[in-house]
Amino acid sequence: MNALKLISLAWRNLWRQRRRTLLTLVSIAFGGFLAVIMTAMQDRSFADFIDSAARLGAGHVTIQHQEYLDTPTLTRTVKQTDAKRSAAEGDEGVVRAVDRVSGQAMVATASDSFGALFIAYDPTQEDADTFEFADDLTAGSLFQTPDEKGIVLGSILARNLGAELGDKVVFTMTDRTGNIVTDMERLSGIVTTGAPSLDGALCLLPLGTVRRVVGYEPTESTQVAVFIGDGRDALRTARTLRQQLGEGVAVLTWDQIQPEIRAFIAMKVGGGRAMELIIGVLVAAGIFNTLFMSVMERTREFGIMMAIGYSPRQLFALVMAESGLLALLGLVGAALITAWPYYYLYTHGIDMSAAYSESGTVEVGGVGFDTILRIGIYPENALIIALAVVLATVLAGIYPAWKAGRVSPVESINLV
Amino acid sequence: MTSPTVEFVNVTKVYRKGAMETHALRGLNLQVNQGEFVAIWGPSGSGKTTALNLVGALDTPTSGVVRLEGRPLGDLSRRELSRLRRDRIGFVFQAYNLIPVFTAYENAEAVVALQGVPARERRERVMQILKDVGLEGMEHRRPNEMSGGQQQRVAIARAIASNPAVILADEPTANVDSETAERLLTIMQQLNEERGVTFVFSTHDPRVMKYARRLVGMVDGAVASDEVKASGV
Repeated sequence: MNALKLISLAWRNLWRQRRRTLLTLVSIAFGGFLAVIMTAMQDRSFADFIDSAARLGAGHVTIQHQEYLDTPTLTRTVKQTDAKRSAAEGDEGVVRAVDRVSGQAMVATASDSFGALFIAYDPTQEDADTFEFADDLTAGSLFQTPDEKGIVLGSILARNLGAELGDKVVFTMTDRTGNIVTDMERLSGIVTTGAPSLDGALCLLPLGTVRRVVGYEPTESTQVAVFIGDGRDALRTARTLRQQLGEGVAVLTWDQIQPEIRAFIAMKVGGGRAMELIIGVLVAAGIFNTLFMSVMERTREFGIMMAIGYSPRQLFALVMAESGLLALLGLVGAALITAWPYYYLYTHGIDMSAAYSESGTVEVGGVGFDTILRIGIYPENALIIALAVVLATVLAGIYPAWKAGRVSPVESINLV
Repeated sequence: MTSPTVEFVNVTKVYRKGAMETHALRGLNLQVNQGEFVAIWGPSGSGKTTALNLVGALDTPTSGVVRLEGRPLGDLSRRELSRLRRDRIGFVFQAYNLIPVFTAYENAEAVVALQGVPARERRERVMQILKDVGLEGMEHRRPNEMSGGQQQRVAIARAIASNPAVILADEPTANVDSETAERLLTIMQQLNEERGVTFVFSTHDPRVMKYARRLVGMVDGAVASDEVKASGV
């Protein structure tokens, strides 16, 4: 029996129990839909989360002093950052590399003082792709040049300090030799990220100002933040840069610098995989039931087919073909029912802020999640789901197919 | 000397269910030669169907040897038995047993397709056989669109299309009316005479016995009588 005849027979067999086949297809399609949407939610939210952490921290890949990770002081710097940025930007996956100086500072006004996390950046090197706070400004303005006057504070920190735009803010930090240095700027902007811990501690400064205050050279900073198009390429990019830059500096990925975020994502992904596995098993059980019932109902028919010359292998192939067709139809069904919800959630998303805390945000490791739930699946994950659906369906068909091939003609023909 | 088409040598068949044993065949010895039109008759439980199942390679004897065209079936592997059923044996069942999703043409063609006969030759052969059994113009009907007699004719066409050495027909007229039964028997008789195909019936239908040219009577799993008639109907 050639393949075309086999598929033709399998196709017709599928539609002998139209309602049951349709119900099975619905379960496959719905399983596929759930798997795609769940995976797309994870892929998008974690990709956004990683990007956000990278913008907030020091990129997807960070070039820094070898001891800075353990002792993040302003005495641990990298020099000739222009050459290092050029080296990084030579990698095909790298979007941009920028200088950052970050560390601890004390900020004070006439009425109060608080500890702060400062980030000094060069606004001519950065934009919304690399700088987390570009869209978070709620008062004043951000810096346009690396040497301009001013200081930008998180909204809670500004409120705690009792500072308003134009007020004097004194900041104190250690210089490159470890001595205490102080400078004063006027409050030029206020940002609200939605992450309370960040809004209560954030202090943004122009890179040139900080370099001058702490005594850095013009191409010296604590970190070179490297941004890449796909956060999942961080490890490869880091390896490449390590080879290029040698042993003098540390080249770290975002998850090495922020292991708590890696752990959080790993935990969530693990949970998601477990859910997908459960869905897969349920779908496979449904398919198995359909195929097994179908085979059991046709025991007599298989006996007849065996009697007239079909081989056990051909009967096995016939049921496997039915299983394969179910899988393909199920995939088409999954694509059809997933297309519109996917498109909507990809483009518009759902505003989940009301479901979160009073602040309307959710925060992990100082990084805020976007409260608009959007989705976006990595193509390889979509492919994995499609293959998993086909695999689950085909696996579910193996036993019924084997059973069909083992039918005893005499016993089954005697069944009436 | 050519071998008999079908040969039973001291064949026994015992069915066991728990502690209970049923002796379906008790030392059956029988030969059917090429081109014969034989009816094996006898009461229920006499072993007719068991004998057909054994020669049809659907079951194995408890002891003894069953040969088809001289080949002992017990020596064949599962795959060889499948091929044997496909190429050398045609079945006609009491309940027709057509593949319900196939049309009359496809049912008749199924075994020929399994044999790998080229499409054109296959089509010509199957169309001719459907014409021979009186189903011309009904090729595209599915079993549920045909009467019992028509379905049985498709079953006969299916059995004959693969050019088998023997056609085993188990109570082929049991589910049809007298007129249809006569028609079916006439068709099978013609096929036997024109194509030289050996027919072995299991039956207790007097109409079949009327057409048969040899009557083998079975009682309690063994041959009780063997009568060669001068001619059938």
